[in-house]
Amino acid sequence: MQLVEKESGEVTVLELGGRLDSNTSKVLEDKVMEILGQGKKKVLMDFKDVDYINSTGLRVLLLALQQLKKIQGRLVLSSIKDYMKEVFEISGYTEIFPIFTTQEEALANFS
Amino acid sequence: MEPVFSLRIANRLLELDRVADAVEAFGEAHGLAAKLRYQLRLVLDELLTNTISYGYPEDGEHVITVSMSQDGSRLRFLLVDDALPFDPLTAKTPDLGAEADARPIGGLGIHLVRAIMDRVAYERVGGTNRLLLEKDI
Repeated sequence: MQLVEKESGEVTVLELGGRLDSNTSKVLEDKVMEILGQGKKKVLMDFKDVDYINSTGLRVLLLALQQLKKIQGRLVLSSIKDYMKEVFEISGYTEIFPIFTTQEEALANFS
Repeated sequence: MEPVFSLRIANRLLELDRVADAVEAFGEAHGLAAKLRYQLRLVLDELLTNTISYGYPEDGEHVITVSMSQDGSRLRFLLVDDALPFDPLTAKTPDLGAEADARPIGGLGIHLVRAIMDRVAYERVGGTNRLLLEKDI
């Protein structure tokens, strides 16, 4: 899994790539905990280069959302590949996560 | 019923790459859509990850067989292992209508399997779990 962290104003952008599965999702979980530890509350995860996610990866997203909600923070997702969208729907995630087509649209939603 | 592949894998998570590669190879050769290839990989990943992670509390070396066959527009998978008895059909699944704060963290994998596949049948035969999964394409 690849992970690039950027700042865009007050928003922490995590650009993810590769596979988010049982072998790799801990990297994202640790990064989320680090960001929360820094007191950051606005997080955008960009899935543009993610080509695979399983329930372990999905679980990390839910954990991150729950932690951010506790501190009145916000987690937004963007750029999920078309062929993976149905799994986000089946998981019920389209009901609880704001999901945008591009990173730009997601960023605009924060302002 | 035309056999596509039959793999014997060890009870280690790294072995799942071989299963994913076999599904991808079949999918590419038969022009399966990216969504279907991904969902089939996901189903096998979820089931095998469960078995490998929780099915062998005493550890040790075990063999799991994963086979796939095709009957016209029906894809059939058979998973056989000697892990602890586990019937994914009776496993609890999370309340996916709950608010984010109240969502349970576990159980999603089995829910995905049941939602994606068209038919799932489980039997415990002589100390083995046999799980049959079908998907109409």
